[in-house]
Amino acid sequence: MCQQHQCGSCFNRRECLKMISLASMGTGLFTGLVETPAPSEAPAVTDVIDVRELRPKPEVRVAASFLEMPRPYWLGWPGTTYDLDGHQREYTALLRASANRLGIQVDQEAQPLNSDATIDAWIKKLIDTKPHGILVILQHMQTWGWINRIADQTKIPLIVFAPVGTAFTGHLAGPSRKTGVHVISSLDWSAVEDGLRMIRAKRLFEETRVLWIRGNERNETVVERLGTKVRAIPRDTFNQEFDKQPVTDEVRDLAADLRKRAIKIVEPNEQDALNAMRAHVTAKRLLKAEGAHALSMDCLGMVGARLVPTPPCAAWTLLQDAGITAGCEADLFGAMSLMMTSYLLDRPGYMNDPVPETVHNTLIAAHCTSGTRIAGFDQKPADYILRNHSESALGVAMQVLWPEGQPVTLVRFNGPNEMIIDTGKVVGNVQTPPAGGCRTSVEIELDNIEDSRDTLGFHQVVTLGDHRRVLEGFCQLYGIKVTHSPRFSTFEYGGQA
Amino acid sequence: MSRAMYLLIGISTLACCCGALGAETVGLSSPGLPPSQFHANGVLAEDWGTLTVTLTGDGLAPGEQRLEAVALENVVPAARWSADFGQIRLQVTAYKAPVYPQGMDVLEVQLEETGGEPRSVTLNLQPSAQLGVGLSTARLGNRVVLSIPLETQRFLETRDWGYVIDTTPMPGWAKPEGDCDPGFANIRAGMGGIPIRYRFRVEKGGKVQVVLGLCESFYGQAGIRPLLCEVEGARPLLVDPVARWGQHKPGALLFTASDDDADGWVTITIRPVPGARDRNPILNVVWVFPTNVRLNLNKVISGALNDQARYYVDVGGKKDQPLLLTEGLRFPLELAAGEKRTLTFYVACAGGQAVVPELTAWTPESLFRAAREVWTGWAQR
Repeated sequence: MCQQHQCGSCFNRRECLKMISLASMGTGLFTGLVETPAPSEAPAVTDVIDVRELRPKPEVRVAASFLEMPRPYWLGWPGTTYDLDGHQREYTALLRASANRLGIQVDQEAQPLNSDATIDAWIKKLIDTKPHGILVILQHMQTWGWINRIADQTKIPLIVFAPVGTAFTGHLAGPSRKTGVHVISSLDWSAVEDGLRMIRAKRLFEETRVLWIRGNERNETVVERLGTKVRAIPRDTFNQEFDKQPVTDEVRDLAADLRKRAIKIVEPNEQDALNAMRAHVTAKRLLKAEGAHALSMDCLGMVGARLVPTPPCAAWTLLQDAGITAGCEADLFGAMSLMMTSYLLDRPGYMNDPVPETVHNTLIAAHCTSGTRIAGFDQKPADYILRNHSESALGVAMQVLWPEGQPVTLVRFNGPNEMIIDTGKVVGNVQTPPAGGCRTSVEIELDNIEDSRDTLGFHQVVTLGDHRRVLEGFCQLYGIKVTHSPRFSTFEYGGQA
Repeated sequence: MSRAMYLLIGISTLACCCGALGAETVGLSSPGLPPSQFHANGVLAEDWGTLTVTLTGDGLAPGEQRLEAVALENVVPAARWSADFGQIRLQVTAYKAPVYPQGMDVLEVQLEETGGEPRSVTLNLQPSAQLGVGLSTARLGNRVVLSIPLETQRFLETRDWGYVIDTTPMPGWAKPEGDCDPGFANIRAGMGGIPIRYRFRVEKGGKVQVVLGLCESFYGQAGIRPLLCEVEGARPLLVDPVARWGQHKPGALLFTASDDDADGWVTITIRPVPGARDRNPILNVVWVFPTNVRLNLNKVISGALNDQARYYVDVGGKKDQPLLLTEGLRFPLELAAGEKRTLTFYVACAGGQAVVPELTAWTPESLFRAAREVWTGWAQR
């Protein structure tokens, strides 16, 4: 205890005087006290960090129930012939399998709910237990009246599975357009699993701390709606940590593997590969030290100032392949868009600079940090060629060869409240040279866009597959406005004064 | 030293230094963000000016006041200012929420009737700067420096109808051709892509018929200024006035509206269309009819049914009006005996803006959760 001031909590005289000094200034008491926390134990440069451990592992709790009418059924859809017990056994088994695959806890009601009283009791339970999402499986058309009640009273994201035979267009008209509700009128269970993925993705966003490596600030804020924490740290932190990073066995192994898996190596030499993997290991250390799960860095500024011998492109590719978002140019919402594909679709993408190709009316999406496991984290990686970073002729970047003829989705958060979603098809991989720009350069024929010059957004994330419906579902569930590039050109042709 | 210990020491030290009446000033902070200052006279100081919290009403006079630094849930540092106004106790709790990117201060104002009798009081927020006050935000220039969350807005003094967002009135802008209501000549324009929004008082959960009158006079070509019309309870409608009716031709759109959120208001919003060449929305006339009036849109356009309308708005005309009854931030409240009531406000802090309530997902609960998580994570570094 500080005898002089009777402050029961003081540790010693020096600390006590520091507190009093701050307090007597009359400003920023807590700022002075709390913004200088004790340093945590950072991993050593020789520590091997399992990259998979850096991905957040949130608890995801979903409450589920069947909704039915009192039995036995007589007329009315799904009809007297509908095998209620059989279907409920089937859907319960599917739900368990999906939950196991996704790592979700499901609290399923033991008996189907079939009356106002059971619905009211369940709503009360939901309000008390606050699950992260709700799944209802409809077993009769007359249960639709309960959907709005559940959604409005709990305000918890709600997935409604209406197997064919339990809904007409009229039933879907209201709930299926409602924010916070995702209605699946189908027999396709994979759509229900996608709905569960949406809930898991939101929890992943919430549990993510993204390192924003730029400028000279150190602070932490939270992104609206998604709940992702943004920890800004000074840009120099990275190059200083990089300088400390020796070529360890891990670095050597990673570099050798990087070169071995390439179908061709054009510019980079062995030292370039070692440096690239030093950047990768540095990034892992930094993420672990800061308790972070993703990063976005002012890489171009760092390379421009010649602070590092290599841009982080290849290092970022490896992180992306492991489900760790690594964004370029400190574009925070570019990184959030990368997170979207990683967390919802279980696959990496790459944020791109969009180039309209006006002869073929296509879009060339170009950058140097595409993931290789573009078909999914657990799928075979795409072929790549080892190149250098084209703008600087430094280091290692991958030219990932995207499969021609395959559908792709372009996704971009315009801030936390709006998402641009477009789709198209890969028509080719553009070579550099003859083109300039970035190493992974994919030519895309866009769906539903008359003129590629009208494509909205910059640093949109390209991801393999047509995921428009799933992304739209996520947006509706969490109140994010969806925008598509205009189908018809809004620009006038001809000369203007 | 742990974060909790720092907080304990901070609070103890303040009490030591400042005696029974508490602190003179308490800083509101969030990791890495510049602090705001809460002063002992109920004044929050920001980089744009100050905001003073006062209470007025019969027989109310400020008595003892106290400011102290507290840690909410033992984690989030905050300022707590309390003042007795006779039989009403006013308590303001302020903390900085770590809203990306610059943070935002949150004020929770609690009023408690302590005399055992119902009382009418008015809570006043007095900004030092001249602000443009709307229903949900107060702006200094284009900067939103104060916002009034949806749950607090219902306490504002309002008219039965009016615009919610202050867009640009442009009387005589349109040149409507043919027999039409004179209101078609006037518009409001949402310059810079600001939506045009009006609100109309209706029975809670009630239905009405809304007719929007539009006339495009600037462009002669279709596709340049499409408009997205949103009427509460009706399906949104995308309309291109030139494509549908032609340049200078007055047109009308009918919506069956309903008070979907049961707040006693029907809201209409005209938004720009993303990607359109001109993204400044316009609106000429609004009619709101009871559901039992049979509508012929040609007659509506001509103005022949104006008398049967529950509300008729010559948008941008002389009788157009804001929804807010007074320009000040006044919140008249009827407190029952012993009642406690809490109103929340968001305030812009250094370099930032307050969020726009209609566009944000932030709630008082999620803001506090964010503050708690950030402080907890910061301490674990």
